[in-house]
Amino acid sequence: MGTRDSGAVLVLATAAIAGLLATAEAAVGQEQSYEPPRTADGRPVLNGIWQALGSAHWDIEGHAARPGPIVSLGAIGAIPGGLGVVNGGPIPYQPWAAAQKLQNFENWVTADPVVKCYMPGVPRATYMPFPFQIVQTPDHVLIAYEFASSSRVIYMSQPDFESPFDTWMGHSRGHWEGDTLVVDVTAQVGDTWFDSAGNFHTEALRVTERYTPISPNALRYEVAMEDPNVFTRPWTMSMPLYRRLDENVQLLEFKCVEFVEELIYGHLRKDPTR
Amino acid sequence: MDHRYSGLALVFVATAIASLVMVLPAAGQALRVDDANATEPAWTGARTPWGVPDLQGIWDFRTITPLQRPDDLADKSVFTLEEAAEYEAARVASLHKDQRVEDGLTPETDVANAYNHFWWDYGDTLVEDRRTSLIVDPPDGRIPLLTLDGQLRLDQRREARRRPAHGPEDRNVWERCIVGGNAGPPITPSAYNNNVQLFQAPGVVVIFNEMIHDARIVPIDEGSHLPDNIRQWRGDPRGRWEGQTLVVESTNFNGKTAFRGSGADLHLEERFTRVSIGRLLYQFTIDDPKSFTKPWSAVIPMKATEGPIFEYACHEGNYGMVNLLAGARAQDAAAAALTTGDPQ
Repeated sequence: MGTRDSGAVLVLATAAIAGLLATAEAAVGQEQSYEPPRTADGRPVLNGIWQALGSAHWDIEGHAARPGPIVSLGAIGAIPGGLGVVNGGPIPYQPWAAAQKLQNFENWVTADPVVKCYMPGVPRATYMPFPFQIVQTPDHVLIAYEFASSSRVIYMSQPDFESPFDTWMGHSRGHWEGDTLVVDVTAQVGDTWFDSAGNFHTEALRVTERYTPISPNALRYEVAMEDPNVFTRPWTMSMPLYRRLDENVQLLEFKCVEFVEELIYGHLRKDPTR
Repeated sequence: MDHRYSGLALVFVATAIASLVMVLPAAGQALRVDDANATEPAWTGARTPWGVPDLQGIWDFRTITPLQRPDDLADKSVFTLEEAAEYEAARVASLHKDQRVEDGLTPETDVANAYNHFWWDYGDTLVEDRRTSLIVDPPDGRIPLLTLDGQLRLDQRREARRRPAHGPEDRNVWERCIVGGNAGPPITPSAYNNNVQLFQAPGVVVIFNEMIHDARIVPIDEGSHLPDNIRQWRGDPRGRWEGQTLVVESTNFNGKTAFRGSGADLHLEERFTRVSIGRLLYQFTIDDPKSFTKPWSAVIPMKATEGPIFEYACHEGNYGMVNLLAGARAQDAAAAALTTGDPQ
């Protein structure tokens, strides 16, 4: 390629980047100017049934499509690609943790806790491929997730309320920063993962979530993770959450315990089926 | 006690007890809520900003009042004050006993029955109106007879419970950690974690039971039930307001939850009425002609409590099911060894 050509490419690229930035600025401008409906106490209304799109539940980092582990499921069991939802490069694992992550990845079918219908923890519950419902009151925000009928209560007016123990969905305390619901999630057990690619944490995990309405039918979801046992620094993810607009939409039961009894207890049957 | 005394007791209860919040219905009459509570701050009937009764809070439904009236109290629907105190003392003493000693100290009682009142959380008291059963209709306080079909299903489930479990499906749904026993629906008091928190937003009420992290979301005034082919463990609830009362109708059950013998065609009506700042009256009616020979209803008063409710993760720690099935296979092996005469 000659110099002249490459100059033309550079001009083209610069124009394209400028265009992208302009688009991004316009989007941010729109987000900032969006005036959401408000509750009686003046907060943005977050009530509704929401769902993340994409393949973050498979792998929060960018990944090409790959085959799934179940041969008989063929194309529908394959894992779709995704650009990733982690901001600013790879997850900053400590060296031992990077090795552990690889091991988890190799063994995810047997090691991934949601395979056994365990509650996904936060933030994974947010981007499981299932809807969740927000029910908002001045003192509490309840989030009910379709997957495994998991749920959590965010305490809005008890900033000093520490959990006496760790739980699968953690302990959530919220406050408002402008029109953003900020949730501090502590006291999660170390058993949950971030996705089906083996990304993991320990019980030292501290999660800060930010839910911001950006249009009548979308929230911006930003989430920061800190775990000094596993990561070299805090890191973040972001993604939109979409309102489910289907007519008559409601959370249905996905009580998956019944679907994993064979997996977990099948070898203890009187007449084992496999 | 003869009937006349029992009748007098009822009059006494209905007129003189300040904490009475409900008038027992005569057979066939609709349940009626009477806000006559004078022992608590006057209830002003607080409403949400969008104008419906505010039921929010954490509600404790512990009681030692049994769901069904015991046989020896067949003629007595309500205790006198003295009888109530006597019953409560006897029941609490029974819950306190060391079953390892009083039922014979064997390895089995040590493992299976070592719980006492320290572990149980039934509470120490009867419901405040001193009824002898939570069931108010039929008037005998008993679950009506099952239909032939209902009895057949119950017998099959009992048979499955009695034998060394062939698989998890032989055990009940709360041992399997699919639903929380006392969460129902309908909600009924049990051995522990008798707490439910209610949340409200425009067009929705959430019935959030401690057992087992169960958030039942009730749409208010919204459309018809799910299509008939979509069946759920907790059914499909739809709510509406009748005056001060939230009425929740549930259909579309999958039949596998089997509340006291109910089946997939259960039509459940639940009614929530806040009768004072600290009291919520919960009533339910089971209408399932394929399972019961007539409908039946219960009334369960709930008290406001501080909480909070913490996560009850059941399935995630269900070592009990592994142990139970491993034990069943050991029993099978022992039985086989007996039959063949082979040493284990």
